[in-house]
Amino acid sequence: MTHFSPAACVDYFFNYFLMKGVLVTIGLTAAGVVGGLILGMGIALMRMSSNPVLGGFARFYIWFFRGTPLLIQLVVIYSGLPQLGIKFGVITCALVGLTLNEAAYLAEIVRSGFMAVSAGQREAAWALSLPRWVTFRRITLPQAFRLMIPPLGNSINSLLKATSLASVISVEEIMRRSDMLMQEHFQILEVYAAATAYYLILTSVWDVVQRRLERHFSRSTATRSPRAAARAPSPQVGLEVNA
Amino acid sequence: MTTDIDGDGGTHPGMHEAPAVRMEAVYKYYGEFTALNEIDLRVERGEKIVICGPSGSGKSTLIRCINHIEKHDQGLIYVNGVELDDQRKNIDAIRRDTGMVFQSFNLFPHMTTLENCILAPMTVNGMAKQEAKDIAMHFLTKVRIPDQASKFPGQLSGGQQQRVAIARALCLQPKIMLFDEPTSALDPEMVKEVLETMKKLAEEGMTMLCVTHEMGFAREVADRIVFMNEGKILEQAAPEDFFNRPTSERAKTFLDQIIR
Repeated sequence: MTHFSPAACVDYFFNYFLMKGVLVTIGLTAAGVVGGLILGMGIALMRMSSNPVLGGFARFYIWFFRGTPLLIQLVVIYSGLPQLGIKFGVITCALVGLTLNEAAYLAEIVRSGFMAVSAGQREAAWALSLPRWVTFRRITLPQAFRLMIPPLGNSINSLLKATSLASVISVEEIMRRSDMLMQEHFQILEVYAAATAYYLILTSVWDVVQRRLERHFSRSTATRSPRAAARAPSPQVGLEVNA
Repeated sequence: MTTDIDGDGGTHPGMHEAPAVRMEAVYKYYGEFTALNEIDLRVERGEKIVICGPSGSGKSTLIRCINHIEKHDQGLIYVNGVELDDQRKNIDAIRRDTGMVFQSFNLFPHMTTLENCILAPMTVNGMAKQEAKDIAMHFLTKVRIPDQASKFPGQLSGGQQQRVAIARALCLQPKIMLFDEPTSALDPEMVKEVLETMKKLAEEGMTMLCVTHEMGFAREVADRIVFMNEGKILEQAAPEDFFNRPTSERAKTFLDQIIR
């Protein structure tokens, strides 16, 4: 016997309790990205440094947090650390767990972005006697950032979905609130269909934003179109100088 | 700090007229491989040197050691009287006075032509933006592409990009220009426009060291040809003498292959 109530599904979709959970999911994702990026950059710099202590620590960090499931990390932070006297609030636990985990992946993305900027760029900067911080901020970083956008975008997509694991430590985001709603009337498929719809909306919106970002940042490295190359170049009267 | 470049312990009229480049017993190793083998070279101000030789002879390594893009392992290098040691201030001073043009242009792709040119004068010499723009436009006009000022490198042809690269190097008003195979990555048609630009620079008295395979250019412009092979300088001679009466066997073989 099958029964599914599309009306109930729609009701759950517009349920305020669930919608507040969506906000929590978004908040967790945003915090995870920002925290993960800051920490990840730090780890990446350590990884790329010639100092063996820093490099070793960075390599260990990345190995550990990429080598264990996010779920275990969250559970240990929430339920295990109190045994050592370290106790955080629920949301803090989630933020710490997500940030530490995300940083490990972002560190590798940041590092590969920097390594992909061609050596010739650095050599040109040296030949121009540009100060080191100018080379980093004006030459290397902008180019590395452009290269990082696709894998970074992919990472954010993953993080949006990974926040659902915080439900296990009772953070009231989409998944947890769906569980709670489900236990009221046991309309399992209806509740989770609504939750699924929200995840799809969030990831799809992010996809659009990511594509916009990619396009925006690649516009300045645009190459000539084949048609433009075929046309003979003609000198333009009147200079537009908008540097 | 005055360096006693002649080693005679005294002062004399020519003391502050240091040669543009002076390399003494310079060696460079990559592991077991000797890239530069006892290089002795002296370039006077205003001289135009063309360095040529077979692949792997160390030509690029030699000029890349002059502005410390590569670090030499043994020997002494002086640029305009300043010793190229490990001191940051010496390295920076030398790099300010030498401009380099690369085979792969190495323009900054996320900046316009003009932005590429004004970055160094503004950050190295602390120049104001408008003044830097004026200087940049002066040199862009000199290399005959002022109309491409607001284009991005990706929108320019190879020949245009290389001319922008030359203008960019000139914006710091260096005393020496180093060219590392500037036309090797260009279509034959574009080679001409870049060589014309370099010729103009030469005529105006710039000290130039140029690694190139363009023997026509070498004949016309060079004061001296430096022929290298396997990390050593085998011959140095005026173009007339080098092309018509090469003294080393290796040079003869090399020239046979180049000039049909």
